[in-house]
Amino acid sequence: MAIFVDKDTNVLIQGITGRLAAVQTKIMLDYQTKIVAGVTPGKGGQTQFGIPVYDSVQQAAIKHRIDASVIYVPASFVQDAAFEAIDAGIRFMVIVTDWVPLHSEIKIKAYAEYKGTRYIGPNTMGMMIPGQTSLGGVLAPRVKPGGIAIVCRSGALSNEIPSRLAEQDVKLSVVIGLGGDSVVGSRMLDVLKLLKEDEQTKGVLLVGEIGGTMEEEAAEYIKAHFNKKVVAFIAGRTAPRGKVMGHAGAMIMSGRGTAESKIKAFQLAGIPVAKNLLEIPSLVKQMT
Amino acid sequence: MRLYEYEGKAIFQQCGIAIPRGSLVRTGKEALRAATAIGKEVVIKSQILAGGRGKAGGIKTAETPENAAKITQEMLGMELEGYKVNSLLVEEKLDIANELYMGITVDDEVGAPIAMISAAGGIEIEEVAKRKPGRIVSNYINPLCGMRSYEAINLICQIGLTGETLLSASKILTRLYNVFTTYDARIVEINPLVTTSEGEMIAADARCEIDDNSLFRHPEWHDLRIQHIDNPWEREGVKGGVNYVDLDGDIALMANSAGVAMSLLDIIKDEGGDPACFLDTGGALSKERMKNGIALLLRKAKSDPHVKVILVYTSLVFSLPDTVAGGIIEAIKEVPADIPIMLISGGEEERRKQVQELLKDSGVKICPSVEKGVREAIVIARQESRNGYIC
Repeated sequence: MAIFVDKDTNVLIQGITGRLAAVQTKIMLDYQTKIVAGVTPGKGGQTQFGIPVYDSVQQAAIKHRIDASVIYVPASFVQDAAFEAIDAGIRFMVIVTDWVPLHSEIKIKAYAEYKGTRYIGPNTMGMMIPGQTSLGGVLAPRVKPGGIAIVCRSGALSNEIPSRLAEQDVKLSVVIGLGGDSVVGSRMLDVLKLLKEDEQTKGVLLVGEIGGTMEEEAAEYIKAHFNKKVVAFIAGRTAPRGKVMGHAGAMIMSGRGTAESKIKAFQLAGIPVAKNLLEIPSLVKQMT
Repeated sequence: MRLYEYEGKAIFQQCGIAIPRGSLVRTGKEALRAATAIGKEVVIKSQILAGGRGKAGGIKTAETPENAAKITQEMLGMELEGYKVNSLLVEEKLDIANELYMGITVDDEVGAPIAMISAAGGIEIEEVAKRKPGRIVSNYINPLCGMRSYEAINLICQIGLTGETLLSASKILTRLYNVFTTYDARIVEINPLVTTSEGEMIAADARCEIDDNSLFRHPEWHDLRIQHIDNPWEREGVKGGVNYVDLDGDIALMANSAGVAMSLLDIIKDEGGDPACFLDTGGALSKERMKNGIALLLRKAKSDPHVKVILVYTSLVFSLPDTVAGGIIEAIKEVPADIPIMLISGGEEERRKQVQELLKDSGVKICPSVEKGVREAIVIARQESRNGYIC
């Protein structure tokens, strides 16, 4: 399998009858994603674009083999929706919803780890394996399959950057939006470990941003264990400094989290860092 | 949303954590009454939403009620760490035997709550963490199980407490965890947790920050959150469901993604421009939020002549053409535009064309790419006068 999913992955859409879900389901179907079922409680028995809708994930799982679920339910229902998918034995989730409460996020993380379910998000645009499948709304129809992996924290950048690279004829192995929140299912480090073993991936573009310690953590791993080419970008180099979350926050971060800290960590690991969005394509092309 | 010390302490008290006797005052007269009721030396603490109050002169003691009133009057209206003092907490002065630090927050790296404790509480705690990291002990908590009493005891043991103090401190830690979960906090912190000479444990300070995304679970706090914001534009942003950050340049920037907003900010600066603000509407736009964002920037431009142009990026993957265009048109109807609005759209060609079509009579300028949009916005911002530009 490629990263998390491939062309044979059977996909469930939770909250399939919602407005955004409906739009993105259409996009996924156009991309030949194998969507086998949808769930909206109370709407079981209906269909959406010919896809059967069920009242619960369990109901759907009785009738179909489901490998992955894309979750679109409103923020107040996300924790239940994720637990439902995990309990139904689904091994991979994409949680698209944004504005999810932090305490829901930490519970999803703990439960998913306990049950062995992997996920990306919340607050993600999703992911795509070019030429194979797309889960969520990563929409870059001109992107061709190739050897560059894009791992991105921010939502819209995981669409803007592949589009820019496609214009330059850069071919991609995977585009993955980790999600813009502080607690997400998969961090750069988790994805790098998979990319290390992925034969198709020859080089990696890491798109980070200020805040958190994901980039510093990734840089250390790359320096010690990663044998493929990597380039990076940090959004928000000129943004005003975020506020520190109390003494506890300051003690945990111990100086990390700023653009300077992240850029320095990448440079120490020998990773070139694009100055801004416009510089990314030329830097990526050096890897190909 | 950060809570004031007095709000945090009220929550602590409800959850069984002892706080000093005292009351919130807004006038010298109230301070006199409060100090008289306490009947001993008092501490007067300015209530602002920032740390470092003590060092900045925001915390004073008074031996008599008259002196408390005088100090209160002096401190009211003072500016401290960028915040105006509107209220103060008048509390009994504690007879301190020692000070602990106790905090719970979420460690992003692990994605779990972490409890941190130290016997070296007080204002120098971060210095202690740097110089003697061994004096801070910490442990992760499984959010599915909550903090169990034995976990609290195991942790507190490590800072050398025994007997009754061990039990008191453990009880406070589990109660603090209860505050953390009940109120959807990002952080709860007691620094210092004072042990008095009588052996009582009292939270002398309270630092609580509530997760804004959880406010739908706490509707009673919705108005409070808005009251807590000093900047009027940020306040309007929160009311409209968008994140607004004030800067001081001339290009008002808006995007439906924080990552793109920050990337554009960097490009604008690199190209020699100067952003006036940045506004993130969040990914999946509603027409309402789109309208609120644009209308906010138009109002800001009317009140601040420095703002010369509005530059908007919308990804049309999460947002539909009619949402984006409809929101902009409604905003212009509400607040007529007297500076240019420029729109960069990301996403499928077909949808970009739809947006262009829907906006063709609106006066909004459609930019073919990020670079062209940014460069043109900078040119417009540099033009001396905004008169004569026909929108």
